[in-house]
Formats: sequence, C-alpha cells, structure tokens
Amino acid sequence: MQATVTMMQRVLVGVMLMLVVIGVAAPGNFAVAQTAIACVASPSGGPATPAATPATASAPDAVFPASGELTVFAAASLTNAFTQIGDEIMAANPDIVITFNFAGSQTLVTQLTQGAPADVFAAANDIQMQEAIDGGVIAGEPQTFAHNRLAIVVPADNPANISGPADLAQDDLRLVLALPEVPVGLYSRQAICAMGEDTSTYGEGFVEQVEANIVSQEEDVRVVLTKVQLGEADAGMVYVSDITADVSDDVEIIKMPEAVNVIATYPIAPVEGGDAPLAEAFIAYVRGPEGQSTLEDHGFTELP
Amino acid sequence: MSDLATPADSARSSSRHAGRHASRGPGAIVIVAAGLLVLFLALPLGAMSWRAIQESRGLTSEGRDLLWQALTLSVTTSLISLAIIALLGTPLAWLLVRRRFRGAQLVDTLVDLPIVLPPAVAGIALLMAFGRQGVFGQWLDQLGITVGFTTTAVVMAQVFVAAPFYVRSAKAGLLGVSPETEEAAKVDGATGWMVFRDITLPLALPGITAGLVLSWARALGEFGATIMFAGNFPGITQTMPLAIYGRFSAGDLQSALLLSLVLLVTSLVVLLTARTVSSRSAEDREV
Repeated sequence: MQATVTMMQRVLVGVMLMLVVIGVAAPGNFAVAQTAIACVASPSGGPATPAATPATASAPDAVFPASGELTVFAAASLTNAFTQIGDEIMAANPDIVITFNFAGSQTLVTQLTQGAPADVFAAANDIQMQEAIDGGVIAGEPQTFAHNRLAIVVPADNPANISGPADLAQDDLRLVLALPEVPVGLYSRQAICAMGEDTSTYGEGFVEQVEANIVSQEEDVRVVLTKVQLGEADAGMVYVSDITADVSDDVEIIKMPEAVNVIATYPIAPVEGGDAPLAEAFIAYVRGPEGQSTLEDHGFTELP
Repeated sequence: MSDLATPADSARSSSRHAGRHASRGPGAIVIVAAGLLVLFLALPLGAMSWRAIQESRGLTSEGRDLLWQALTLSVTTSLISLAIIALLGTPLAWLLVRRRFRGAQLVDTLVDLPIVLPPAVAGIALLMAFGRQGVFGQWLDQLGITVGFTTTAVVMAQVFVAAPFYVRSAKAGLLGVSPETEEAAKVDGATGWMVFRDITLPLALPGITAGLVLSWARALGEFGATIMFAGNFPGITQTMPLAIYGRFSAGDLQSALLLSLVLLVTSLVVLLTARTVSSRSAEDREV
C-alpha cells in the first residue's frame, strides 16, 4: 500500500491541527469560576428579601367566576401539588380551564419579562418574585403560600455509601445540584455554606470539597431528582416535597439537620395584564384550607 | 404578476416544462409563499443578532470565560465527533451502497432513525445503554468506567445524533459513482484501497463534503441528548447550546444572546466555507 497523502489523511491532519490550535489558544481557561460556591458572611438560611406577606389562617375564601381560562406559571417543585389543586378547582368549577407552565422559577421570570401570557406567577424564592416585580410583570402584592425544606437524596442502592450530610465532601462523589440561579440551587449552596461554618462537625475545607464534587448543574429541581433516580449521580439536593411516593422506591433520603437546613419561601402573585378576578380566586384557594392541605399532602410545610 | 417575470425566466420555465404549461414566470402566490418563509427564517435570527449586538456592551470577564469555555468545548467535541463519524461512517456508507448483504435494509433504516427521533429520545436511549444502571453502563461501572458527566459522553451524544446525516449524504455521493468506473480501474491493476482513494472518494466528494457539513452542524447544535446524558458542567460537558440554555435558565439573557450570536456566526462561517469548497471541487471536475 502506497504512503501517499490522501484527501482523507489531509482532512484528519487538519482536524488534529485545529485541536492543537484550540489546546494552545486556551491555556488555563478550564478554571471553572462560576461553579464556585460563594458563601456570604451571614448565611441566615432565610430568603434575602422578605418581599411577600405571610399567609394568615384567615385567608379570604376563593370565589371563582363562572367561567374562564387561567394560565399559571409555577416553580417546578410545585408540579404535583399544583396539578392536583388545578384538578380540584376544575372539578368544582367545570367551566374553568387551568393551564400550568412548570419550570425553574428563573426561567419563568425570563419568559414573563419577555412577554409570555400568564395570569398567576408562583415562585420558589422571593428573589425571583422581586425580579418579576422589577420587570413590571406583577400586579399587586405577592403573598407567601408555602414553605419547603431541603433533603439530600441518593440512589436506592446508595453507591457512594452516604450516611449523612458530612459525606458530601468525600472524594470522587458525583454530586448534582441545580444551577445557583435557580432557587433550589441557591438554597442548596446556602445549606452547604451553613455546614461549612460548623467546622467541628464538618471539618475544614468542607465547602471546597463539596464544590469539587459537583458534576452537573441542572436547570430545575426535577432534573436533579431524575439524575439521582437514574443512578447517574451519587447524590443530589432537592426539596422534601419532591420526594413523592412515585420516586421513594428509587431514592433514599438523607436527612439534613435543622441547624443547616434552609426554609424555602414560596410567593404567589397575579400577573400584570392577566385575568385578575380568576387569578385572585386561584391565589385565595391556594392559600385557603383546601389548597394548604393539598400542599401539605405533597410535603410542603405548614405556614408558620 | 407578469412584470416580475423576466423573459429569461419564461424561456427557462417553458423549455423545462416542454410546453406542457403555458410559458409564464413564477406566479405571485409562489413568490409570496417563498418570501414568507424566507422572512420567517430571517426575522428571528436578525432580531436575535440585533439584540445581541445591543447588549454586547459590558460583557463581564465571567461571561467571557463562560463563552470561551463553551466555545472551545463545542468546537473540540464536535470536531472529534466529526472525525469518528467520518472514520466509521464512510465504510458503512460504502458497504450499504456497494454490497448486498442480509439485513442491509434493516441497517439502513436503523441508521436513519436518529434523524427522525427527537434528541430527548436519544438522550434517554443513551442513558439506558451507557448510564450507570444501563445495559452496558453496569459493566463499565464495575470496571470503574463511568461515561456520564464526562466529555466522552458529550462526544457519544453528538455521534449518535449526527452520524446518520453523514452516512445518508455519503451514500448519496457514493451512489453517483458508477461501479463500472471502479471496475475499470481494478482491471488496470489498482487495489481496492487505491480505487477508493483515487476514484471513488474524489467522485463522491460533493456528497461526502455535504455530509460532513451537515453532521458537523448537527453535532455543534446538539442539546437534548447532551443535557440528558452528559449533564451540564462548565468546561466538561457544557457545550454552547447548553451554556445558552443555562444562561437563559439563570435569567442571564445578555450572555445567552451573545453566546447565540457567536454560535450563529460560527455556523455561518462553516456553511460558507463548505459552499466555497464544494463549488470549487465541482469546477475542478468540470475542467
């Protein structure tokens, strides 16, 4: 066989050359700056801005108009609870149609500020609600309607043998968190920071070790759970409310001590330009006894 | 209507249709329909570019890092994928065109499947095969090899979704090469490899080039299978489309826009280069 340079070989050499050029041109650019967990000086555990007014036991009764179409943009962690609430309302009010758009709260804010039509916005964090308010898409005052807690989940066979939160720092663990801009991702990092402060329990350099274990950053909490369910990740951090009966066979829950856990606050508000009476009725229902009991059934904690 | 049609147009269309239709230029409906589609395709890209240019002021150094990381990863992984696709896809295309074998039809259909499947299905399929609890992934895991969350997984996702585009196009190219030409060269004493290198490959080059461009573009744009199978981590698995989606999810529209613009320009450059190359090679043959 002759050793002449063929077209194919030339193409291959070209490809190799390009790879070399890229390798040379990008020195040290693989330092991953934006994955670092930036712990703030006082990780209070609570939300940054308490923009929403707390729910009260005497929430007004939900009065629904005779008919109408309602579009609710809600945080991904509300998927199951809100779907059931929607079914309940539609069963009681046959001429009302409720459509949900579930996604990461941050994605929803972007969609809303880009003009997506909606009547109600329910976020998993006051920060996203505040961004929506700043973006001019919220009508009226947001109200708190639910709280949630974090839990560590591992696949049912627990491949990395995690027995407590301190094990998140063990070598070569494959930890999946949500993006830091997504509420659950922020809460997860706050909890890790809180653990890092407690050096007597978690040791020195805990935050850095956990940081090094993050292998993927997902766009919402449901994807984090799926990656753990599939066994792709050794551990993930999700809301307690996400660990439903459907997934409890596939995952094991590692409890987080109250001292380091973060209480997530869920605000809800009508969207500017939406169907105001219907939106108010929906919000009242969610904050009323029926809505609250459904939310509790799905693992959300009672309003304090 | 008729003032839009030049005499040359009329002449061309009448000669092509051999008098079956009245000799007329394209009707207004044809032009409006075509124009609408062009507008629909151009408008979003134009709007995006406009916004991206407006917002490009004050890109943070963090944003630059992210852009550079994602672009490097995208270009590197897609070129590695392309090399794998060309090395394995060319023999497959040749076999499918030149050899009759049992199950050829089946293989042919199988190879086409990823073209019609949504990338999300590809992602799940890859997870079921190579995920840690997957059919092969379990074995690999026992050997201490995990592909999830690695750059290897990114390349696998790209090869899975992009290879069919190459095989299809390479097949079309090879079909245009007459077996008689190859036989003639063989009679003159050329080996199989020499025939392929000096006769088949140059003649099939337009199809092969088109296939390379198509599959490269598909690999570069690959999103669904990557995010599901490989995960999303800067510098390791976060290619341009994932970085764009990640920035969008994070509410950082400015970076998302800028990354989109860079990807658009990159794709445009490749398409134009490929066009120039293929038209030049076509001219070469005509001489």
